[in-house]
Amino acid sequence: MVKNNFLDTNVIFNYSNYIQGGSKDIIKKCYLFIKDKQGKFILCGAVLEELSNIIVKRANIHKAVIRKIETEEFSFENLISKRDIPFAKKLYEKLRNQNIKKISIELAKERDLSEIAIQQFLKIQVDERALPLEQINNELVNKIHDIISNHADCKILASALQFQKDKDIFLFVTVDAKDLDPNGYDFLKEHFEINYSKEKYKFPELLNLMFVN
Amino acid sequence: MVIRKTPQQIKEEILSVLNKGPLSVEQIRRKVESNWSTINTYLEELKKEGKIKEIFSADKAKIYQKLLGDTYFDIPITDEERKKFRTLFSLIMQEYKSKGIVPTKTYFAKCAVHVIKNEESGLSDLPIVWYIYGLIPQMIADPSQDYQKEWNLEHRIKIKNLIKEFMDINKNKSSGQIQREQHKEYGDELYILSDEFFEIVNRQRFENEEILESLNNFFIACPIDNEFSDIFNLTEKVLSLIRKLALLEVKLEDYRKEISTTFDSLWKFIALYKLYKSRTTGKNALNKETLLKFYIGNPLDSRKKTLQESLLELNSVYMSKLAEFDISKIKLSEEIKEIKSIMEDWTGED
Repeated sequence: MVKNNFLDTNVIFNYSNYIQGGSKDIIKKCYLFIKDKQGKFILCGAVLEELSNIIVKRANIHKAVIRKIETEEFSFENLISKRDIPFAKKLYEKLRNQNIKKISIELAKERDLSEIAIQQFLKIQVDERALPLEQINNELVNKIHDIISNHADCKILASALQFQKDKDIFLFVTVDAKDLDPNGYDFLKEHFEINYSKEKYKFPELLNLMFVN
Repeated sequence: MVIRKTPQQIKEEILSVLNKGPLSVEQIRRKVESNWSTINTYLEELKKEGKIKEIFSADKAKIYQKLLGDTYFDIPITDEERKKFRTLFSLIMQEYKSKGIVPTKTYFAKCAVHVIKNEESGLSDLPIVWYIYGLIPQMIADPSQDYQKEWNLEHRIKIKNLIKEFMDINKNKSSGQIQREQHKEYGDELYILSDEFFEIVNRQRFENEEILESLNNFFIACPIDNEFSDIFNLTEKVLSLIRKLALLEVKLEDYRKEISTTFDSLWKFIALYKLYKSRTTGKNALNKETLLKFYIGNPLDSRKKTLQESLLELNSVYMSKLAEFDISKIKLSEEIKEIKSIMEDWTGED
């Protein structure tokens, strides 16, 4: 039987960045997974929140690049996080000698196309919206935090676990290579079995597109 | 012999100590040197008379703010500044009246700024702020008021000449034109770009490209301030919505009203931020926290809500066009492909 799919943010974001014939493997996998849809797509409030944060962050990176091109003394550290700086630097090196107005137009178009893809996906492809933010069980989020450090990931996983409770097993679809590789996911399940066996948490089946051909 | 203060004296003293900003009952009591019960009685009376308001009430800690009514957002100015402003306003009104003209609020305010900005006027310490229509005096310039001389201005003759100069230069100009010229004269790019945007959107006909070019310039000039991330983030939200409508091949002219209203709400939000920046930087800067907590915070929130409501309306237009659009028909330039390739590994994770 075809299982339903509880989608992680990274799958949708990668899908939105697909270019025909020009994307790396993992982006192509996410694109094809959504295009060749099988089973329902389920989306939770925490994913919507993270998507919206990512959209804001990307605009901030682009703005920082424009500021740097305008004023060489401008420091990326003033505006964007450490993790984002290498990307801003690469963009800056690539674009620094071009006309600033043209650069701003191209960067905006890149953001806009990705946003249109996300918003079209949300409007057309999503079958079920699960767990608005206010329904996320914070206690459960904290329990996941013992193993996974990223707070947004914990909220998404907690939503998936809460939603899974009285449903047939669905797929938790992600491309997270850090915390949610198959071993990491098994470790998390084990941690719950040992420490919270009474609560009888039911885990969705992991589908990490990073690890499938 | 101890001289007892009259009720009127106590009330005036309370108003005077509140000139510099809001105070708690205890702070007022200490400054006026009176007892708790007396102070409370007169605070209640002043409240009923509409001269002060209670702005924050926690257990045992009431905070009172003077209602000035003559400055933008009741932001305090000193007595000396008030007297100087009134005297300057009376000189401006005299000059206009001598020519048989009643100035509009814009003429009046811009003329005052023209004088204050000129160092030879000796008034350059008077607070002026950037707000919706450009630089204005912090004290509201109201042509319907009867202003009188309250201060001996040292450079009275120079000031009168500056007023005449302003009247002469601007006699045949509309308020809008004076505003636009002032934005250029004092060089705030965002105001110039906002004028440009409204000029385009109010034309009988306009092309998408004209609006998009104007918004692109606005994006480049938009401030990005870590203390006020909403300024850039909401600007991008508005601009990106309009850009995406254009990408979906919507003729922006057909949604002139929605676009204009949304941009106007954005502009009013940004203008209040500009006012905040004007009063918290440079000479006589006010304390940021006080300004936000007691004067600007609530209006900022309410403008943000108005903007979000306008955005909802424009967004509904966008959503109605979204489903039927085939995104794959948009051709990507080589530059966009390169940008995408650089950002490929960016996940947006914290």
